[in-house]
Amino acid sequence: MNFINSFSSEWLKKKRSLASWLVVVGGFFTPCIILLSRFKNAAKLPALYAAPNFWLRQWNQSWESMAAFLLPIGIILAAGLVTQIEFKNNTWKQLHATPQRFSTIFFAKLLVVLVMLAETFVLFNVGMYLSGVIPSALFGNVPYPTAAIPYRAFLSANFNLYIDCLPILALQYLISLQFRNFLVPVGVGFAIWFLGIGLLSWRYSFFLPYNLSTIDFFISSGQFPRDRYPLINIHHLAIVYTAVFTIAAYVLYVAKKDKG
Amino acid sequence: MNSIETINLTHRFSQSETALNSVNLQVQQNTIYGFLGPNGAGKTTTLKLILGLLRKQQGEILVFGKPFAEQRVQTLKNIGSMIESPSIYGHLTAAENLRILQPVYGCPQKRISEVLELTGLARTGSKKANQFSLGMKQRLSIAIALLPSPSLLILDEPTNGLDPNGMIEIRELLRDLNRNHGTTILVSSHLLNEIEKFVTHIGIIHRGNLLFQGTLANLISKQQQYCFIAFETSDDAGAVAIINKFSTLLRADSGNLATPILPKEKIAAINQALVQNGIDVYQITRVESDLEKIFFDVISD
Repeated sequence: MNFINSFSSEWLKKKRSLASWLVVVGGFFTPCIILLSRFKNAAKLPALYAAPNFWLRQWNQSWESMAAFLLPIGIILAAGLVTQIEFKNNTWKQLHATPQRFSTIFFAKLLVVLVMLAETFVLFNVGMYLSGVIPSALFGNVPYPTAAIPYRAFLSANFNLYIDCLPILALQYLISLQFRNFLVPVGVGFAIWFLGIGLLSWRYSFFLPYNLSTIDFFISSGQFPRDRYPLINIHHLAIVYTAVFTIAAYVLYVAKKDKG
Repeated sequence: MNSIETINLTHRFSQSETALNSVNLQVQQNTIYGFLGPNGAGKTTTLKLILGLLRKQQGEILVFGKPFAEQRVQTLKNIGSMIESPSIYGHLTAAENLRILQPVYGCPQKRISEVLELTGLARTGSKKANQFSLGMKQRLSIAIALLPSPSLLILDEPTNGLDPNGMIEIRELLRDLNRNHGTTILVSSHLLNEIEKFVTHIGIIHRGNLLFQGTLANLISKQQQYCFIAFETSDDAGAVAIINKFSTLLRADSGNLATPILPKEKIAAINQALVQNGIDVYQITRVESDLEKIFFDVISD
């Protein structure tokens, strides 16, 4: 009950904040771009929409930029913005003087970012579907895609990508809790992400925690061979990274001498 | 019973910087304790330690008679606090700021409108807190502190940024909480004249040392010790010998003759004796020290 109260308190704080807008923008940005490109290339749409693998192509086109760019950037910003609500308003001292365990505060805030990420996934999938069907509703010569939506495969891929993103979220949360200056977590996050992108073709690029969602997508979309990492399970690695970063973040947070 | 007691509370920010030196604070239940000291004296550090915002290094902190660290969450349920500058979410309204804390304290929903009314913020509506004046922000911080109907209220410089009218209102509010609801209040300030009007007890801290602690009456009796009669004459050396026949001299330097407070008749007799001995008396003054002066005397000793 205490945790639910703390979570609802944390959830209310992001009302009208940049963090809440980020979820909407992050979820619908790529689908909107895809929709615009469809409008621009309307002549090619009838063939595309008649294809039996329409939804798979739609999925790959949507996730390409999301997995490699928008999702890591969005998570870097979201984790920073959630902790900035306290730093910017000078409210850590008020929060830490409320009758809540430090662990409750830590995990309630973390859960807010996790739920925001889940929201982004949901909005993104809705956006992906809408960007697929809207052209057929607007253009008379574009048929409604007849191909069946592979729900199970998409659900499983969504789940895996969500897991793959968690190391970014956990490490960004750790850094964001430690620094008052918003530029520090954002700068560090972007540096690690850039490094990961630069080293993506490296054999051991899976060791860079910010690469996992990109690698997962590249493998599932056939851009990387399926047996690229025969001994490594990307999703298990993501869980290990997440656990390590979360424990480190918690220890550092609780050990802070000045909580005001 | 003490609502707050610190025993030899010592805190260092570095080896060379001692912020608090064996502070033994005693805030009795149902009192209004004014915690006084100039900026940087150690007031906020003490309050942060009491609330667990700073990690305790040395000494003991007892709140409601129990070690704070052992029952932090349970203890904080009965404490309302406001430390330093206002701590509010600028993108939210006053009511939303309170709604955030309402589930955490588990207080009834109607308490939100009650504290908004008490602090004069009931009509702020949909105005965001970052559009508030400093005084309104301060009121909202006080509203947040009052939300859990606490039995102990810890307020760090609560009247900062308030206009004189606002100061009086907050003073009245605190006095009312203490008298009618039995709330113990620990309020810090760097201005004695701001808190002397409503506190029952005073603690004076300077450079991390608690220099005075007691009732306001104790401090006022200390004030009497700082009152004296000053004589200004044409021949101070000659005057010393004459005044000594009537009273002991507190100070006998040239240009600075002073005796303790004397009856009117004795002052007249001294005056007469000085004149009869050919010493002109330019001025006899009764010098009374106000509490503000006592405060400065205490911290400059």
